[in-house]
Amino acid sequence: MAIKILSVDDSRTIRLIVGKAFRPYDVILLEAANGEEGLATAAREKPDLVILDVTMPVMDGVTMLTKLKEDPALKAIPVIMLTAESGRENVLQIARLGVRDYLVKPFKEDQLLEKVGRCVTLEKRPATIAPA
Amino acid sequence: MQGSSDINQYREFARKYGISGVPESVTRLTQLVARQDSCVDEIVRVIEKDPALSARLLRVANPRADDESEYTVNSVEEALMRHGIGCALLLAMGTPLSLALIKTFQTMLSLQLEGVDVHQLDSLTGSHMHCSIGFAGKVTGKVHLRMSPAAAKAIAAGILGLQPSDINDIAEIRDAAGELLNIMTGNFKSNLCDAGLDCKLQPPQVGMTEDCETPVEPGGGLERLAFRAGPIEFFVDVTANPWSDD
Repeated sequence: MAIKILSVDDSRTIRLIVGKAFRPYDVILLEAANGEEGLATAAREKPDLVILDVTMPVMDGVTMLTKLKEDPALKAIPVIMLTAESGRENVLQIARLGVRDYLVKPFKEDQLLEKVGRCVTLEKRPATIAPA
Repeated sequence: MQGSSDINQYREFARKYGISGVPESVTRLTQLVARQDSCVDEIVRVIEKDPALSARLLRVANPRADDESEYTVNSVEEALMRHGIGCALLLAMGTPLSLALIKTFQTMLSLQLEGVDVHQLDSLTGSHMHCSIGFAGKVTGKVHLRMSPAAAKAIAAGILGLQPSDINDIAEIRDAAGELLNIMTGNFKSNLCDAGLDCKLQPPQVGMTEDCETPVEPGGGLERLAFRAGPIEFFVDVTANPWSDD
């Protein structure tokens, strides 16, 4: 069964890169451009994993993570932070809130897949049968 | 500033998540600049130990010189005395910024980016892409990324794993340029904040302009960095004023 991954990033570029990384896998990719949209999508879709940026308009990633961890229905969803900010204060605050992993931009697709693979089982997308 | 238990815990998380830091000389320099009571001699010693930092400081202190033979400021100490410690802050910001750019090109575009002397690149004239991101707090300033439309298109294509001819949407080019700016500023902001120079990033602005002049932050300095990766060339201007605390 396909797993659901929610990518929350205000950059369409990053969402496209994340989408491309998961294209060979049996993954349903959900997207949100800020924490508010991300929270609403997470509540509606109950993804298996969230990949979350920090600096975003409307609601930033730290606020979204805090709200996610406060919600009994959502707090068990593993979160991987994907951000350019690796400052001590940021990392400490985020790690203490409870994230599964932290990936600093820039990143390679392989690094993302490796970290995601530690949280959920990534299976290759079933091959489509070519029409005769 | 955080206590040693926080620092130890951060190191533990950084190890766990595979987060790497900036060179020790840059961390030390940022810490010294952040302390308003640091003595210039101490800052001079840190910069002089690092030939790359020394060379960059002298370039910043001699903005009109085309090469070293035209320098009127010839020592690190003189540069700091004449231009203020704000110059040292630019060095502290430029290193993580450059490292982040080089790493971005390596990891996301599979291209070898090199920092080059600004005089090696043709000056920008006419309409070009200008992306800027401001930061404010205990240090204020702006980072400007300037490049030709062709370079912006090549970068967007590289980041997205496409051919430049596949990119026809200007919004995609702008978004990729904005993200490149976000990555490099996010990296140096972390270094500043870790040294006690807390600041927040403002939303990036991306657009076309014909204005090639970068205004200098009042009371601060400006460093222009130039980069090349094959046919892709671009400039990064950094302006900063420490201790503005607005």
